[in-house]
Amino acid sequence: MSMTMQRLHLTHPLHFVIGLTLWCIWFVAVYGGHAVACSVAPPAPEQGVFTLVNAMLLVVSIAAIALLAALTVSCCRMAKRHEGRLRFNATVSAGLYLFSTLGVVFAAMPIMGIPPCL
Amino acid sequence: MTTINREATPQGDDIKGPNQLHNDLHDIWGNPRGLKALTIVNHTALGLRFMVTGMVFFLIGGLLAMLVRTQLALPDQDFMSPDIYNQVTTMHGTVMMFLFAIPMLEGLAIYMIPKMIGARDLVCPRLTSLGYWCYLFGGIILSFSLVLEMAPDSGWFMYTPLSSSEYSPGLGSDFWLLGITFVEISALSAGVELVVSILRTRTQGMALHKMPLFAWYILAMALMIVVGFPPLILGSVLLELERAAGMPFFEVAGGGDPILWQHLFWLFGHPEVYIIFLPAAGIVSTLIPVFAGRPIVGYGWAVFAIIVTGFISFGLWVHHMFTIGIPQLAQAFFSAASMLVAVPTAIQVFVWLATLWLGKPKMKLPMLWIMGFLIIFVCGGLTGVMLALVPFNWQVHDTHFVVAHMHYVLVGGMFFPLIAGLYYWLPLFSGRMPSETLGKWGFWLTFLGFNGTFLIMHWTGLLGMPRRVYSYETGMGWDIFNLLSSMSSFIMSAGIAMVLLDFALHFRFGKPAKHNPWNADTLEWANSMPPSAYNFVSLPKIETRHPLWDNPDLPRTMAEGQHSLAVATHGRREMWGTDPLTGKVREIIHLPGNSWWPLFAAMALAVVCISLLTRLYPLAGIAVVIAGLFLLRWSWENGAHPKAAPDAEVAPGDPPLHSRTMDGPGLWAMSITLLANGSFFLSYLFGWFYLWTVSPEWRMPETSPLSLVGLILAGVALTAGVVILEKRVRGLRQGKDTGLAIGMYCISALGFVQVAITLWVLLSADLAVTETSHDAIIMVGLAYALLHGGLGAVLTLLQGLRVGYGFVGAHAPFEPAVVAQWWRYNLVTFWILVGALAVLPRVIGS
Repeated sequence: MSMTMQRLHLTHPLHFVIGLTLWCIWFVAVYGGHAVACSVAPPAPEQGVFTLVNAMLLVVSIAAIALLAALTVSCCRMAKRHEGRLRFNATVSAGLYLFSTLGVVFAAMPIMGIPPCL
Repeated sequence: MTTINREATPQGDDIKGPNQLHNDLHDIWGNPRGLKALTIVNHTALGLRFMVTGMVFFLIGGLLAMLVRTQLALPDQDFMSPDIYNQVTTMHGTVMMFLFAIPMLEGLAIYMIPKMIGARDLVCPRLTSLGYWCYLFGGIILSFSLVLEMAPDSGWFMYTPLSSSEYSPGLGSDFWLLGITFVEISALSAGVELVVSILRTRTQGMALHKMPLFAWYILAMALMIVVGFPPLILGSVLLELERAAGMPFFEVAGGGDPILWQHLFWLFGHPEVYIIFLPAAGIVSTLIPVFAGRPIVGYGWAVFAIIVTGFISFGLWVHHMFTIGIPQLAQAFFSAASMLVAVPTAIQVFVWLATLWLGKPKMKLPMLWIMGFLIIFVCGGLTGVMLALVPFNWQVHDTHFVVAHMHYVLVGGMFFPLIAGLYYWLPLFSGRMPSETLGKWGFWLTFLGFNGTFLIMHWTGLLGMPRRVYSYETGMGWDIFNLLSSMSSFIMSAGIAMVLLDFALHFRFGKPAKHNPWNADTLEWANSMPPSAYNFVSLPKIETRHPLWDNPDLPRTMAEGQHSLAVATHGRREMWGTDPLTGKVREIIHLPGNSWWPLFAAMALAVVCISLLTRLYPLAGIAVVIAGLFLLRWSWENGAHPKAAPDAEVAPGDPPLHSRTMDGPGLWAMSITLLANGSFFLSYLFGWFYLWTVSPEWRMPETSPLSLVGLILAGVALTAGVVILEKRVRGLRQGKDTGLAIGMYCISALGFVQVAITLWVLLSADLAVTETSHDAIIMVGLAYALLHGGLGAVLTLLQGLRVGYGFVGAHAPFEPAVVAQWWRYNLVTFWILVGALAVLPRVIGS
């Protein structure tokens, strides 16, 4: 774990943008994936939310949440080890990863309540 | 400008007196007068030109707004015909968004950023100049349509099919599409150089976490411009191709889809709101600590909020399209994202309030406008959250409620902070103070008039009055509200007129300002007032976020030349190139002097624009070639060219000139330019897959019309060129330049081979570009590949010539590395195009 954290250089300002870039990729993936699924194989309306489309979107979302949450925790740990510029970078990155995590959670909630393609 | 002195940079005892230094620096950096003023590339002069031009367009846009309110003041008015009304409303939105808001804020950033970060100019001064001329010419062309009564009339977002040739057969839509694309060259060029300048030219020691917050906001804005504008440029190109050449991108019968335009427009349009808001919020974050007399509370929170806003604003575009029949689940995603963006905005509001709470605010004139901003913008934000809720959005869609919300956000979020900022920096611009009396009258009239106009407009909208109607019948219950809105709008106009009058009069009658009159903390106040063309005699090392609070003596010691680069005998325009993260000095950046080429290139591009408008395509083609030649000639005067820096000598201990390294700002400028290019390319791919997936009449042939063998051969030539170029660049890094010119010519030849084969594939495909969107979009993709391949080949050919002239080689190895970036980008996008256009259709069919 610590080797992975070192390799990720979590005090680098590039992490200011990675979390939200992952959020954007997730967002495009679920929006685009939903559109393609509805175009290729729309499920029957009577299935409600228990469809393969909802399941796939949920799996992608859970994977994104897990990844972003792990990066949040890692950045928090890294921030505690440094001072000055590096601490600032890691702390802001941790906040941005946390926001991205919660952003996926919040925007993915409708997947559990709204049927696709209607 | 100057003659080059081959003397090395003197240090220590060689330092001259302040007056002599000023005179020497003025000889190098000073602006010419008369006709030669057109050659100025200095950021201070051009920033002012942007802002003055922006204010002129603001007056035009404001006049149009008054016409609209006059028309709507009473029911059944015939003050304007429906045709003219449509032109006036369309042009009001277009002028305010594209010709006022963005250029004005860019102008402020262009003026302020180098001063705030301790630099002497922006990193690409000729690009600043090109941007200004493109803005001016594009704006004039677009505005001229009003005089001709041919202005666009389909609304400022130009929805298809209303803006297509069937329903808008005149030149109005063409004026919009071509004029706006022309103006966007300006926005993109400013975006690129602001990013590179902020990242690479901050003064020594100014690490990222010590950067002024305003620079963070401008960095985010500039990156958003770079990523956000290309989708609209693509949309404009496609729509103009549809109108001029009949390619059916947005026409259902031809396999297109009008909704594609909405996606492309709002992919730009929603981030655009934040592109306007963020710099204005930067002004607020700069002013509040100064007037509260304490550092901002939560600098890190503010940086966090800026970054989140920049990203999330790209995930909201569909909330403008909730009523077009998108599935509920997809709407829910965008509804959630639209609510999310309120979080970083709220964080900023709390940061500002906490700073005011913990400080001792002084309610000077700029603060009055900041308080007005806080009230109006918070209200606009709250109605924004209401509009993020899908059912409510459906109810008020296309009503005056949306118009009111938009003005609360844009006028509250941009105009009020802008005026606050202008009042704040006015003493820096002119050395004089504004009139408190006129300013206060101006504020209160504007504030009351604004709320009287737009608060009431919320109710008019809730009562069901649709937007974009030129008249209404009496008895709908809208009469009194419209009358009050119109009367208030004239009160607002009177307020704005007072503010402008105050600005104009203060240059003549304002009291002379004392130095740093607001007791500010940032470096721009270390300038003379008004500033010199080179900003600072010497460049300081910065240790804190508040240099002037922590070292009030800094302006004096900087002016006396006690810090770095206080020399001018070499005749170069010099400033530091620093590490983007730590602020450590890496190299000396030498900047080009005044130049005619940006003006000439912009004039040629204006001819292209007008020729396309008037359908004189041969002339447009000639003008494109001429513009290209001007731009290439411009690029010739770089690096070791006699007009740039033929002498690389620096004093012992000084870092090298950037053109003698492999890491100059040009590499960064190319990277950021390619980011914009990549955004354009991704938008194109989105269009291809969108039409393929969604368009109801999409027609894809059983077999792809493109020769896969031909495309692979072209790709092989391109790949070989990249491999050889990379090897040459590696050699230059090691100081080897044997056979460099021949190598460059060979690489160029491979580029031309790629172009020739791709052209053969295109011509042999026999595409029916006016019959199906499938063929039309393939044609656009291959044209993109041809353009990039051709430009890569020409640039490499020029590198070969420059090696021959001695401008490039082991002594000046920089430029091939920049060209290599272009080739790498070309390689990646070409193979993606092959995959998307020729391989995927063969694999999965239609």
